Amino acid sequence: MTLIYAGLSLGAVYALVAIGYNIVFVASRSFNFAQAQLMMIGAFVAYTGHVTLGLPAIVVVALAMVVVMLVAAILERVAVRPVADHQTQLITTLGFGTVLTGLAQLIWGSQPLDVPFFGAKEAMTLFGGRLYSFELGLIVLSVVLVAVIHLYNRRMMSGLAIVAMSQDDEAAVLRGINVRKLAFAAFAITGLLAGLMGFFIGPKTFAVATLGSALALKGFVALAIGGFGSFYGGLVGGFVVGLVEEHAARYLGSEFSNLSVFLILILVLMLRPTGLFGQTQERTV
Amino acid sequence: MTTVNWWKTLRAVPSWVYPATLGVFLLVLPALQPGYSVTRQVELTLILALIVSGLNLSLGYAGQLAIGQVAMYAAGAYTAGIIAVAGVTDILVQLLAAGLAALVVGIVTGIPGLRLGSWSLAMTSFFLVLLVPDIVSIFEEHTGGQLGLSGIPGATLLGFELTPTHFYLTVVTVTILWFAAFRNIIASRHGIAFQVLKQSPVLASSVGMSVFRVKLSGYATGAIPAGLAGALFANLDLFVSLEAFGFHVATGALAASILGGSVSVYGAVLGAAVVEYASSQSDSFQEYSLVFFGLFLLIGGVLMSGGVAGVARTFVARLDRAAGLAGRGPSKAGDGEAIHRIEGGLLDATGVSKAFGGNQVLTDVSLRAEPGRVTALIGPNGSGKTTLLNLVCGYYRRDAGEITLDGTPIRTAATHRIARLGVARTFQTPLIPPGITVRDVVASGRYTVEGTSFAGAILRTPRFRAIQRRDRQRADEMLRLVGLEDVADTEAATLPLGMRRMLEVARALVAEPKVLLLDEAASGLDEGEVETLAGVIRRIRDAGCTIILVEHNFGLVLSLADEIVVLARGSVLASGTPSDIANDPRVRDEYLGASDADVRPDDSVTEPAARQETP
Repeated sequence: MTLIYAGLSLGAVYALVAIGYNIVFVASRSFNFAQAQLMMIGAFVAYTGHVTLGLPAIVVVALAMVVVMLVAAILERVAVRPVADHQTQLITTLGFGTVLTGLAQLIWGSQPLDVPFFGAKEAMTLFGGRLYSFELGLIVLSVVLVAVIHLYNRRMMSGLAIVAMSQDDEAAVLRGINVRKLAFAAFAITGLLAGLMGFFIGPKTFAVATLGSALALKGFVALAIGGFGSFYGGLVGGFVVGLVEEHAARYLGSEFSNLSVFLILILVLMLRPTGLFGQTQERTV
Repeated sequence: MTTVNWWKTLRAVPSWVYPATLGVFLLVLPALQPGYSVTRQVELTLILALIVSGLNLSLGYAGQLAIGQVAMYAAGAYTAGIIAVAGVTDILVQLLAAGLAALVVGIVTGIPGLRLGSWSLAMTSFFLVLLVPDIVSIFEEHTGGQLGLSGIPGATLLGFELTPTHFYLTVVTVTILWFAAFRNIIASRHGIAFQVLKQSPVLASSVGMSVFRVKLSGYATGAIPAGLAGALFANLDLFVSLEAFGFHVATGALAASILGGSVSVYGAVLGAAVVEYASSQSDSFQEYSLVFFGLFLLIGGVLMSGGVAGVARTFVARLDRAAGLAGRGPSKAGDGEAIHRIEGGLLDATGVSKAFGGNQVLTDVSLRAEPGRVTALIGPNGSGKTTLLNLVCGYYRRDAGEITLDGTPIRTAATHRIARLGVARTFQTPLIPPGITVRDVVASGRYTVEGTSFAGAILRTPRFRAIQRRDRQRADEMLRLVGLEDVADTEAATLPLGMRRMLEVARALVAEPKVLLLDEAASGLDEGEVETLAGVIRRIRDAGCTIILVEHNFGLVLSLADEIVVLARGSVLASGTPSDIANDPRVRDEYLGASDADVRPDDSVTEPAARQETP
């Protein structure tokens, strides 16, 4: 059970990355390579707020959210808006992410930093397994976020507008939807959420500059399993990746955990390239 | 004036002379006694340049962002190192083994990665870099794990031990040979194919290229130089450790590629030189290097899409124009050029239906197009004309119905297979890849006629040369036919719309298709251009080709077509000869937008002559 909790909470981290990818993907059909780095910055800001400045938890959360939202806004302005095609956006967002990694190394050093979480320090016992409060927090956060986003897209006008945009942005413009503003808003919101996520993942993964690349990849596998644009799919995908990784590390040895996740990615791409919850689209001339 | 003359002289020299000069200079460098640090710097730069050139091939030419070059580099280095420890010290064997190992990694990861658009390959290849340390520690007894692989004996060549100078010469020679091979691939129809694919997979498959295979060949071939680089690296210090294959190196190589210009051959050397020089300068750069690499990517992506090589190309083109070396304006459509006899095919579509979701676009449509005849497909906007063409080409799957070419059923197969059966087309919006000349655009239509291999292109075999000559010859004939021979060497994407439409016709025709589909070929053309186009279409028809023409210009259709099929709301409203159609009252209503109820009943009886002129 403890192993399952560990897998689920790790999977929740990947699901959170996938949520970030999905928001941007649904809103602008582009792929934000710097998503995981935004969360990494969130974790570092949480560390600084908590440990260095000694702020109360609620202020730390707010601080992390605002800072990362600003970073995400800059990202949209600098690396996404000036670039027309999605292929080049991959390169520019990767570049932005690399800059963030480099800056984090310069500011916070390359040693992993332990980010504290509110609640009890000791692990608690639940259904015969042991888990920490931050692990429970991660799982709850990912499930709640996915549910809220799903409802938002279905019920709210702006949510529908975003979905309309993802289908056909030209048609959305003709319906009077401000596509650029919404795309910008999507980035800002991912930033806001990434700040929140950073606060939650910090205790699990530590704040470390190299966090970005591993998270980016596993988050992508979660996305590939679930299907692009599917929030529930990303959640399921994240949990699958987390469970596989923990079990492989436990029973095969730690050097096999990445390898088994990679094998899953290859299998999904070969057998079901649209993911479990994805849709196929016909090409147009 | 003197600068112009000076430039003309410079341009008269074949372009391969300049990199060759650099190569010769590097080969004679040891004679100048430059010292250890300089030769080592050159060696490291060339090793990085090999990796970057592989990136250029997959990213710049095949259009696939693949960051895993470093993993192939690692595969090459460990392969070479392990077989050297086992006693195989011959550098040629090591290079061969390392190149093969990298190629295998490229193919194995490319196949799944390429199936789902650009991100998946970026991610699967990126993932490879993450896996390197794990795989190295799984095979710790061979690879040395975290401690690194040491005890590699010095390299030999055919039994002779290599001194450091010899090894330096080996690195330079391998690099020169690879770049020559790379250049030969790019300056062949494979290079053009990459550019076509990058612009539009739709276009690529319409000329018969398998999108997947072309992408995979670019990506997998790009792995080979990384493997060679790995073998050279293992023999440079006779030590291989994990540090050389991290994300840091991967991003550095990508930055070098963007900086030098991904869509270039020699930009790789330039980008590698800058990145390697900067990294070697001071320890403080190491600290800031990630920030700098990131900025390179960001700025390179936003500002200079062609990198340094792109800037240089623009500059050369400007000087060429100033010196009057560029081509002149267009000529009139050539009348003299005779077209080869084309064996047209009978295209028969029966009962074709197609729905997008709940929207029924085509219902039970039948169409028969015969060789040596122009079959026109007309109808109001949204009546399903282009959809029908797309079903014939295989871009969509049809829900029901049968389409045959000369009696052979065209299944809902891959588009490129249908193209290979002899179905060519033009597009409503001309698809012309940027950066290649008018002649090359036309030649790209012959990609599937007379296949050539990469090896043939690299070695410039007699067969390859003959095919290349024929490509050129046939392209020139087609250009004369459509009146574009004077702009053959101009960059195609800069042509005005009318000429781009003509160019598309030439490209579709160069492979001598059985069936030619023209999708609104005359829209946006002025009267003179329409006249020229009509003349060209008549001559293609007379040569025996089956032509299906989708067109809004009713006058043009009436004058050109032998058979007209009218579509309305997804069904065939009428079909027949031009005079049948011109006199069909339902067609007139459809075109006037008036329903039967709006038209006074005596209209058609009393004023037939007046209605004749409405189109």
